[in-house]
Amino acid sequence: MHVHVGIPQAMLYHEFGSLWADFFRYADIPVSISGETNKQILDRGTLLGIDESCLPLKVYLGHVDSLLSECTHIFVPRVVQYHRNFLFCAKFAGLPDVVRNTFRLSPEQIISPNVEYKSSVNQLQSLYTTCQAIGLSAVPGYLAYRRALKSWRADVPGDIGSSTPKIAVIGHSYLLKDAFFCGNIMNFLASRGVQVITPNHVARKVLYDEAKVFEPDIYWQLSAKIAGAAHYFCRQPDIAGIIMVSSFGCGPDSLVNEYVEHHVFKKSDKPYIIINIDEHMGSAGLITRIEAFWDLVEWRQKY
Amino acid sequence: MKVTYPHMGYLNMPVSKMLNNLGVEVIEAPPISKKTIELGSLYSPEGVCLPYKINMGNFIESIDQGADTLVSVCGAGKCRLGFYNAVQKIYLAEKGQIQFYMLDTNHLFSDLYRFLRTVAPRASRLVILKNMAMGIKLLKALDAMNEAKNFYGARTNSPEQIIDICRGGTQELANSTYKKINFIRDFTISSIGAICNNNQCRPPRIALIGEFYLLLEPYVNHSIEDLLIKQGIEVKKFVYTGNWVYSNTLLQALGLYSEEKAYLDQAKPYLNYHVGGDGLKSVGSALQCARDGYDGIIHIYPFGCMPEVVAQSALKNIANDYNLPLLTLSIDEHSSDVGIITRIEAFADCIKRKKYQH
Repeated sequence: MHVHVGIPQAMLYHEFGSLWADFFRYADIPVSISGETNKQILDRGTLLGIDESCLPLKVYLGHVDSLLSECTHIFVPRVVQYHRNFLFCAKFAGLPDVVRNTFRLSPEQIISPNVEYKSSVNQLQSLYTTCQAIGLSAVPGYLAYRRALKSWRADVPGDIGSSTPKIAVIGHSYLLKDAFFCGNIMNFLASRGVQVITPNHVARKVLYDEAKVFEPDIYWQLSAKIAGAAHYFCRQPDIAGIIMVSSFGCGPDSLVNEYVEHHVFKKSDKPYIIINIDEHMGSAGLITRIEAFWDLVEWRQKY
Repeated sequence: MKVTYPHMGYLNMPVSKMLNNLGVEVIEAPPISKKTIELGSLYSPEGVCLPYKINMGNFIESIDQGADTLVSVCGAGKCRLGFYNAVQKIYLAEKGQIQFYMLDTNHLFSDLYRFLRTVAPRASRLVILKNMAMGIKLLKALDAMNEAKNFYGARTNSPEQIIDICRGGTQELANSTYKKINFIRDFTISSIGAICNNNQCRPPRIALIGEFYLLLEPYVNHSIEDLLIKQGIEVKKFVYTGNWVYSNTLLQALGLYSEEKAYLDQAKPYLNYHVGGDGLKSVGSALQCARDGYDGIIHIYPFGCMPEVVAQSALKNIANDYNLPLLTLSIDEHSSDVGIITRIEAFADCIKRKKYQH
C-alpha cells in the first residue's frame, strides 16, 4: 500500500507537531507538512469553511486543501482531553468530522486517533488506530512513538537571554507561531530592539502550575495555559508590557479574555493590549495600535 | 433571600411554582424584551453567544427589582455555557452583594436537590422531592401540549385558534395544583384535537433542530413554531424541556440514561464524537429525519455557537445526500424579526412547492 501522510501545519500542530512528524519519520512513513500559512491557504480556507467558524479552523481547512493533491492520508487527530482536569474546545473534538464533511473524504483517508485521557491505555489505543490506518505493524509503530515522545519531551524551551526591555506576547500558540498572523507584531517589536517572550518560551509545567489559581473556573486546557502565562508574566519584573492576541470567532477566548483582564491584568500594573485578528489582513491598523502601545510602554519606563 | 433565574421558554413556570411552594421568595425577571437584550449586550463581552447576553439582561433586570440570589445552570462540557457564571460574576459584582448558585447539568438531580435544601431549609425532604416531581410533571404536560399544537395546528384551517387554546392551557397550568396538571393537559389536548378539521391530510413536515436555548425561547426564535404552523407545516422538535429534565435528573441519577450514547449511533457517519452542547443531537436528529422522509430541516443556533458550527458542516452534507432543503438561522442580538420571518416564509413556500409538485 502506498502511504503518504500529510500533516496540516495549523491548530494543534503548533503544540504537538514535532511529536507527530517525528513519529512518522521514525516509522519510515513518507510525511509532508503543509508549511507556513500564506494568502492562498487563507483564501481557500475562508472559502471552504463555514462563514462563522473561527479563523484558525478556516486556516486549518486551507492547509488540508493544500495537502490533498500529494498525500494519500491526512493526519487529523481528535484531541478531546489530554490533561485530567481540562478539556479542549468543541472544535478540536469535531475536527476530523469537519475535515471529512468539508472535503467529503472517505474514512480511510483520514487518520484520526482519539486522544481522550492521559492514560497509557489511551495512548496505546491511539497509536494502534494510527498504525492500523497506515498499515504499520504495532511493534515498529510503538518503537517509533517512544522515540518521538522522548525527543518531544526533551525539547525544553531554551533561555532567551535577558536583554531588556521585554514584551510578552500571549495567545494560542497556533496564532503566535504562525508568522502569517503574528509576524507583523513580532517584526515591529524586533525593529524597535524589543525582546519578545511568548508562553512557548516558558516550560509547560510552569504555566499549568500558574493556572491552578483559576482551576475551578477555566476548563479549556489551552485557555488555562494562556491564563497561566498571563499570571506568570504579570509577576515578572523584567516584562515591560503584555500583548494578548486572539482570533475572531474564538469561543473560549471571547470569555476568557474578559476573565483574564479582570482577574490578572487589572490587578497588576503592567500595560496590556488585547488584539483581535481576523481574515481581513490589512496590517496598518494593527501596526498603528502596536506602535501606540509601544509608545506607552516606553513612556512608562522613562517616568 | 430573593431568588431569581434567567428565562428559557416555559421553564420559569415550574421553577417559580416549585420555589413558591417551598416558601422561597422569588423575583422573576420581566419577560425578555428588546430592553433585556440591549442591557445584556451592554454588559457582556462582544464576541460571546446570545444566550449569555440574554441571561445577563435577565439578571440585571431582576437585580434592579431587588433580587440577590441568582440560580442558573452550567456544565455542558466543551461549550461556553460552563464558563458563563465566572464572567457574569465580574460584571454583577458591581451591583452589590449577590449570591450565585450553579446547577451542573451533569448531575442536575443532586445539584437541584441541594440547592432547594439551602434556599428552603425548613422544608422537609419529602416536600422537596415532591416539588421536584411536580416540576417535571408540569414540564412534561407543557411539552405534550406543545407537541399537540404542532401536530394539529398544521392540519386545520384555523391554526390561530389552536395556538390560542394552547396558550390558555399554559396559563391555566401556571395556577393549577399538582392533581389538576394531567386534567388540564388532557382537556387542552382534546380541545385542540376537536378544532382540527382535516385529520387525514398530510402536511409537509419540518425538523426543527439546533441549540437548546434558541429552540426553547420563543422571544429569540421569533415563535418559529407558530409561524410554521400558520403556514400549514408540521414542526417536529427533538428538544423538550420536560423530557430533558426528566432524563437528566431521575434517569441519569439511576444510571439509566446517557445522552451522549443515545445520539452517537444516530449521528454516524457524519459526526462521530460528542462535541459539547447539542451538536451531536442536532446531527443525530437531522439524520433520523432525513431517513424518515421529512420535507426539510431548519437549523437554528446563536451566532458563533461552537458545537453547532461543527454540526453545520455535517448538516450541509446530510441535506445534500438526502436532497433535503436546509435553512440555517444564525441568530444574534441584531437579527430583526422581519429578516427572520421573511426567510422562514420563503423556506415554507419552497418546501410546499417541492412537496406538491410530486
